[in-house]
Amino acid sequence: MLESDYNEEDVLLHASQGDRDAFGQLYARYVERIFNYVYYRTGNVHDAEDLTARVFQRAMNHIKNYTDRGVPFSAWLYRIAHNLVANWHRDRSRKQEIPLDDLPMLPTKGDHPERNLVRSQEQDALLRMIRKLPGERQNLLILKFVENMSNAEIGSIMGRSEGAVKSLYHRTLLALRDQLEDQNLNLEGE
Amino acid sequence: MTKRKMTSTSAEELDILEAHLAGTLKTVTPPKDIIQRLSERIHMPDREEITLRLTDWRRLFFVFGGVLSGMLVLITVARTLYYFAGRRDG
Repeated sequence: MLESDYNEEDVLLHASQGDRDAFGQLYARYVERIFNYVYYRTGNVHDAEDLTARVFQRAMNHIKNYTDRGVPFSAWLYRIAHNLVANWHRDRSRKQEIPLDDLPMLPTKGDHPERNLVRSQEQDALLRMIRKLPGERQNLLILKFVENMSNAEIGSIMGRSEGAVKSLYHRTLLALRDQLEDQNLNLEGE
Repeated sequence: MTKRKMTSTSAEELDILEAHLAGTLKTVTPPKDIIQRLSERIHMPDREEITLRLTDWRRLFFVFGGVLSGMLVLITVARTLYYFAGRRDG
């Protein structure tokens, strides 16, 4: 289907009436974005795959309840993903599993193939720090940098105002900078 | 003067940090086999749906009752065949 033919309102209407093909279109449009979000929040490919599947299964089962009240469909999907990831973290902490600090490499978009599978020590250290931040700060950074969302879009997903997101972002940057200083890590200008 | 310099240093540090975040948190491309498995999986019933089915006592009662009745019918047929076979031989 051509991008210009895609009308999300129509597709959502059909999907909410049980049209599997319409839901398939929504799936095709959002699967990579949800996978990215879950991958950075869980830190491993296997759980990212499992949780992404569950996000879409839950969305498919509850799409009849989705009503457009100014919240975009993507925001609704991210909220489902956020809840499932939160449950996943809670289950892991109960089981006291060893935390996964090193995010396995997957090819990134827009990079030269040879550079894709190399991550610098600085990037590894930064990723470890990000993964130790509170959940909502991790969400914010992932949505901002991985999904390239605006503060307003992030606000609609996180249920906060644009100003609150901006403020949280600034505090997150300051916290990261302080952590870098504590660990004597000096990021050089690129 | 010193305060202004400190503020600009702090802003520069945050700019550098933002640049590094942009270089670290990049969109990844999930492998094709994962996307394929995911599309196959969303046609399967959800785990929660299966759990709900198992906690639906009425449905479970009918399934259990159906299985027991089926087994009784099979045993009765088997006994009848055995009885007739025994009479013919005797």
